[in-house]
Amino acid sequence: MKKIEAVIQPFKLEEVKEALKAIGVDGMTVTEVRGHGRQKGHKEVYRGQEYQVDLLPKVKVEMVVASGRADEVINAVAAAAKTGKIGDGKIFVYEVAEAIRIRNEERGETAL
Amino acid sequence: MTPLPDLRERFLSDGNPVAILAERTASVSQVIAESFQTYLTPVFPEGLAMVAVGGYGRSELFPHSDIDILILVERAPQDEKSRDALSRFLRTGWDGGLHVSHSVHTVEECCALHPGNLELTISLLDQRFLCGDADLYRKLSSRLQKFIASERPTIVKGLIRQTRERHEKFQNTVYHLEPNLKEAPGGLRDLHVIGWLTKLQDPARELPDWLAELREEIRFLFTARCYLHYAAGRDQNVVQFDAQEEILKQPFQAEMTVAQWMRQYFLAARRVFRAAKQAVDVVESSAPSGLFSHFRDWRSRMSTSEISVSKDRLLLRNPQMLESDPELALRVLRFTARHGLPPAADTERRIERALPAIESHFASERPLWNHLREIFSLPHAMLALRTMHETGLLGALMPEWRMIEGFVIRDFYHRYTVDEHTLIVAQNLLNLRAGADGPRRRFAELITEVESVPLLVFAILLHDIGKSIDGPTHAYESARLGDVIMKRIQMPDEEQMFVRFLVEQHLILSSVMNSRDLDDPSTAKDLATKAGTVENLRYLALMTYADISGVNPTAMTPWRLDQLWRVYSIGLRELTRELDTDRIHTHSSAPAHDFLEGFPSRYLRTHDKDEVAAHIALEEKARKDGVGVELVRRGGVWKLTVITLDRPRLFASIVGALSGIGMDIVKAEAFANAKNEVLDSFTFADPQRTLELNPSEVDRLRATLEKAAMGTLDVRQMLERRLRPSPAKTAERLRPAIYFDAEASAHATLVEIIAEDRIGLLYDLANVFAESNCSIEVVLIDTEARKALDVFYLTKEGRKLTENEQFVLEDRLRAACQ
Repeated sequence: MKKIEAVIQPFKLEEVKEALKAIGVDGMTVTEVRGHGRQKGHKEVYRGQEYQVDLLPKVKVEMVVASGRADEVINAVAAAAKTGKIGDGKIFVYEVAEAIRIRNEERGETAL
Repeated sequence: MTPLPDLRERFLSDGNPVAILAERTASVSQVIAESFQTYLTPVFPEGLAMVAVGGYGRSELFPHSDIDILILVERAPQDEKSRDALSRFLRTGWDGGLHVSHSVHTVEECCALHPGNLELTISLLDQRFLCGDADLYRKLSSRLQKFIASERPTIVKGLIRQTRERHEKFQNTVYHLEPNLKEAPGGLRDLHVIGWLTKLQDPARELPDWLAELREEIRFLFTARCYLHYAAGRDQNVVQFDAQEEILKQPFQAEMTVAQWMRQYFLAARRVFRAAKQAVDVVESSAPSGLFSHFRDWRSRMSTSEISVSKDRLLLRNPQMLESDPELALRVLRFTARHGLPPAADTERRIERALPAIESHFASERPLWNHLREIFSLPHAMLALRTMHETGLLGALMPEWRMIEGFVIRDFYHRYTVDEHTLIVAQNLLNLRAGADGPRRRFAELITEVESVPLLVFAILLHDIGKSIDGPTHAYESARLGDVIMKRIQMPDEEQMFVRFLVEQHLILSSVMNSRDLDDPSTAKDLATKAGTVENLRYLALMTYADISGVNPTAMTPWRLDQLWRVYSIGLRELTRELDTDRIHTHSSAPAHDFLEGFPSRYLRTHDKDEVAAHIALEEKARKDGVGVELVRRGGVWKLTVITLDRPRLFASIVGALSGIGMDIVKAEAFANAKNEVLDSFTFADPQRTLELNPSEVDRLRATLEKAAMGTLDVRQMLERRLRPSPAKTAERLRPAIYFDAEASAHATLVEIIAEDRIGLLYDLANVFAESNCSIEVVLIDTEARKALDVFYLTKEGRKLTENEQFVLEDRLRAACQ
């Protein structure tokens, strides 16, 4: 099993969700996050007051999938989240040791 | 022990909880009597009685409810034989499947207050003799009556405190995705509270029979709880998501969707909750007076010829007037909105009884909007709005409102029904009027910058009203229904159009937030086109803030708050930039088009066909006479339009003339077209009512303005004759903010000034520009709540200002703002 963690632009969330749904991935955890990589922050002005926005709003989508499906899921996320500009985000992939469904204690891929 | 009959199948087929509760109570009593006879009678021929208390005392034993028993004893059992008999009695009950919850007390213990254990006293309010020593029970019964009579205030106070704490635990709302039928507001416990408060009342005082009025609601809650107990096989009272679906599959259940069933639940719970709150209110208001009541008595001086104030509640002097004069109900609510005093329970009930008369009165076109506008502008508007909703008055005034009453959007995100969501949205908005800290503060400042909070509240009331209709979008359906309502309540056309716009577009900011790249310039451009004007954008931002915050208590995260503000900021920046850069190009030489050519696009967004036609006519006059001046009074303010050829100091002269005769400019716009004709529009207030009281002054002002526009009037002299009003205390004053942007336009420099407003401020600013040899290309002035929001596009000798010129100008402007 792999855990796929994608940090994407907020406005791409719906497209990413749709793309995942299209390949049969319904379960995911979505978190509103702030951060920056190479994109860095920028200055914003409101009524003459300039302020630096250091941490940009992003959305983190996490899901755990069977190892065999990881590439398919990564490709779907990457294609849906891509605009080609700096700030599109990143995808991280982790090995998952175990998954347990709390309700009935099922383990492994059946618990996903 | 006789086994208890299994009533499950019967219940699941006929769904009649009343019979189940009664039969279960009877069969449990029989088992207890048998067991008593076997184990206790031989040891306690006298001196011990079985008393049913709590739900068992009320004969309302649900399938898996605990069986609350008071074992009443002459004296506490000391010897082993007695204790052993009692223990065998209880054990037999448990072995037979009865969840007996017992307590052993003497009459003295029952008739004493136990600090920290009000439950014992409360449970005795429902006591009922089962078996055993009848004389001992009679002793309890008679002593208990006296005890309760003497300790009534303490018991009532404790019960009310407990009830409020319980409601607090559920955030004082009936709206929970998985509600607890027993403990949540509007649940069975609230019915018990009503029953207890009624029993605790002074017998001389007549109370409304709330429980009789809640028969249907009681049956609904009883049925649901009975089902939950049978389905779970235990004392389960929370209607979880799967149970909401399962109950609909039962044979006794009429066919409906889960959303429809939940709607029934919410409507029932809401009525129960309201009755419980009324009962608490009635009982509390009859409590003996204390120090606080002196203050309340003072408030009774606010009474009017129609409404009397008693113990902080509103009573009608002639309640029967409600039938013949339905607008009296609105005057009561206006009083509530002004003073924060709710109608007394009796007044609410009388309004409820008069609803048919009120509804038929307002079914035809009536100037209802005048009432609503006033109510929504007052400090306690929300209390009035809630009361209107809870009494059903809102539905009588606008029957379309009933389409969303209790309407459920069933998912994990929407916590409230559509009507409750709408009220929470209004509340979120109105709460901003009191200010806010942290990131919400920006929105609190924004609300001080909108012209009409009542229009915004009304748009909020309409924004989801079409949600139950299956149409293209709910915003469209809401706007369609809104048109019908607004016409009926006689809202002025201009306001109708504006509210329609807000309702129709109420989702654009959230849509941009969720699905558009905020760094993409086309996002700002689209948003600006949809919003149209800076003013519209402010309203939409506030509406979106309140709307998202009203979906569930945690929906408006700090992250979303920031995103929404960003959306507002980029829209605002684009609209401000557009003022100068986005010009009308008609590609035609027709006279009408000739006049429009070169005006900012904003002109067409803020003026309808008739206004444009009037301006074209005024332009003709200006061409003939050198200047065209139009002055009209509309909606309590004066509107001035001046058309003439541009010249240096023109704007300053007109502004100076208005200020010179004491007029307070609240809005202004100045645009030039391609022919160098200037269209200056002003909205001003006449604080001294000079024009209103002296009609001849209107002509004099018009003549003065013509002279000012032509440059033949010494404005400076006029202004010197007027005293400058003393500025407000330093602590209250808004610190002026002055901001230059050289990038907003290709040929002009943007200056934005936010400052404390005063009569003559605009003249002083315009004068600084004139003295600095700056030409004003575009002006947009707005004033709300003593805050002036001024935007100017300036050029000097046909070019942008240099940094040094900005620097010098800023100093002068800052001095002028003081």
